[in-house]
Amino acid sequence: MVSSAYDTLIQGLQYRGREGQWSWILHRLTGLGVFLFLALHIFDIYLIMLGPEPFNTLSTIYHHPIARVGHIFLFFSLLWHAFNGFRITLLDFVPRLWKYQRQTVWIQVVVFLATFIPSTIAIMLAIMQGAE
Amino acid sequence: MQREAFRSARGRMERSSNFELFAWFFMRISGIILLGIALFHMYYMHFVVDVAQIDFLTIARRWDTSSPSGALWRTFDTALLFFSFTHGTNGVRYVIEDYIHHNGMRVTAKVGLYLLYFVLMAMGAYVIFAFDSEAWLAREDTTSLLRLIF
Repeated sequence: MVSSAYDTLIQGLQYRGREGQWSWILHRLTGLGVFLFLALHIFDIYLIMLGPEPFNTLSTIYHHPIARVGHIFLFFSLLWHAFNGFRITLLDFVPRLWKYQRQTVWIQVVVFLATFIPSTIAIMLAIMQGAE
Repeated sequence: MQREAFRSARGRMERSSNFELFAWFFMRISGIILLGIALFHMYYMHFVVDVAQIDFLTIARRWDTSSPSGALWRTFDTALLFFSFTHGTNGVRYVIEDYIHHNGMRVTAKVGLYLLYFVLMAMGAYVIFAFDSEAWLAREDTTSLLRLIF
């Protein structure tokens, strides 16, 4: 497993797939990140069965500024994965768009930034308000 | 290494072409659904409700079965749980099949993944359906306890 991951890394750096390859690598990494958070999130919501006190004590972890910086990573991952996934689905179902695939990546980057930047600003403002 | 990867990919296709076709299709359909409901969930919980305000009472009121909105939220959360975690588990399965070439290790990793899937799906579904919001909201100490903590 380690050697195949190493091969993937070396071959990934050597292979010049440009936009499509980089968006694919990001798709995998962000997907794995969201999956790990999701597993944790299902577990923490499960703890609501134990009643208000344990759940609220746990919630304070999510309210901590460090966790809220983590939310920015979560927004990054989910937004990239969502829009890149939509782009892939669109190309799969409308194959004549394939000749524009490089351009679709840049359209996706614009849509991603248009949603990610305001989200990040809103979260950072909320952190600063909480710190006062 | 590349030959092994090719062999495992070919073996996979020979084994269950219908399942893989279904999985491919499911990823796209659930992906489009999640584009709507997962992004709405993130937007709503972060910028309408505000993460810092979420506590036991927030969830108890969200799932309050004495109002129609409670049933609607429980339906929404069930869809969110099912589509997101199934989509995610199948994605991790792709990653396992791509990078773990050793047969025994690949099977072990997939069995572990499926166990995690069934345990967390059961836990998530149990919470959504078994959480007794009316009983908690009726208890005086639920609200007073919250005031004590915060």
